[in-house]
Amino acid sequence: MGLNRNVSLSDAMRYKGQEPYLAYIMHRIGGSALFIFFTLYILVLAGVDSVNAIFSNWLFQIFMLVFGLFHAINGLRITIFDLWPNLMERYRQAINVGWVVYLLLCGFAIFVVLRNMLGG
Amino acid sequence: MATRTLPLSKRGFNFETIMWLFTRITVLAIYGLILAGIIGALIMSARTGANLADILYWAFFPNLSGNPLGAYIGVTILVKLMVTAFMLVVSGHGVHGVLEILDDYFTSAFARRWSRNFIITYAIVANLIAIYVIWTS
Repeated sequence: MGLNRNVSLSDAMRYKGQEPYLAYIMHRIGGSALFIFFTLYILVLAGVDSVNAIFSNWLFQIFMLVFGLFHAINGLRITIFDLWPNLMERYRQAINVGWVVYLLLCGFAIFVVLRNMLGG
Repeated sequence: MATRTLPLSKRGFNFETIMWLFTRITVLAIYGLILAGIIGALIMSARTGANLADILYWAFFPNLSGNPLGAYIGVTILVKLMVTAFMLVVSGHGVHGVLEILDDYFTSAFARRWSRNFIITYAIVANLIAIYVIWTS
């Protein structure tokens, strides 16, 4: 089977993609980011102390918060739709609600990280 | 809009269906364990006067050496069980997620077989390391 989608990210965002497509992309990036986090977590458990420097780096914390939080919130929405498929009629609204919840939580989390970084 | 109300019996009870079910169940277990971890850390913080950063650290990084939780034997065993369960469900969920992504980019049977072999071996080794460290720390 060949792999030839011929659809760029910008095209996909324009043609009926919009928030749901962005959610799909963010969910995948978030899952990959959490897999990296899982690997580092194992290394910390195994006593590789140098990994703690990565965990305490504010850029890494913000990266994980931005993508990890989205994966958790969007994953909860996907699970709810799987368990109650009749809610699919509210698909777009649910995605928008998810975005609002995510932006509020993520904004607060980034604020806390940056405040700590600045010694507040 | 059409709804996805196809019953499980008509979807075909094959490997993909089982893995779909497994992914959903593990993610619910992850949410449950995170909630239990945070509630447990909040209860313990009341006894030890910990701050929010410590609570989150105990909930997600409960390496018990150098951690006040280690002084409570019953709690220690419970925490170790919870962290072990957390590791297993997270790796199970993560492995399937990574395979789904890799399947979109690796289209040959050979590449897909080896991506599966690699990722499953990785998960087994990572879990063995984690379980050993958790139960011997």
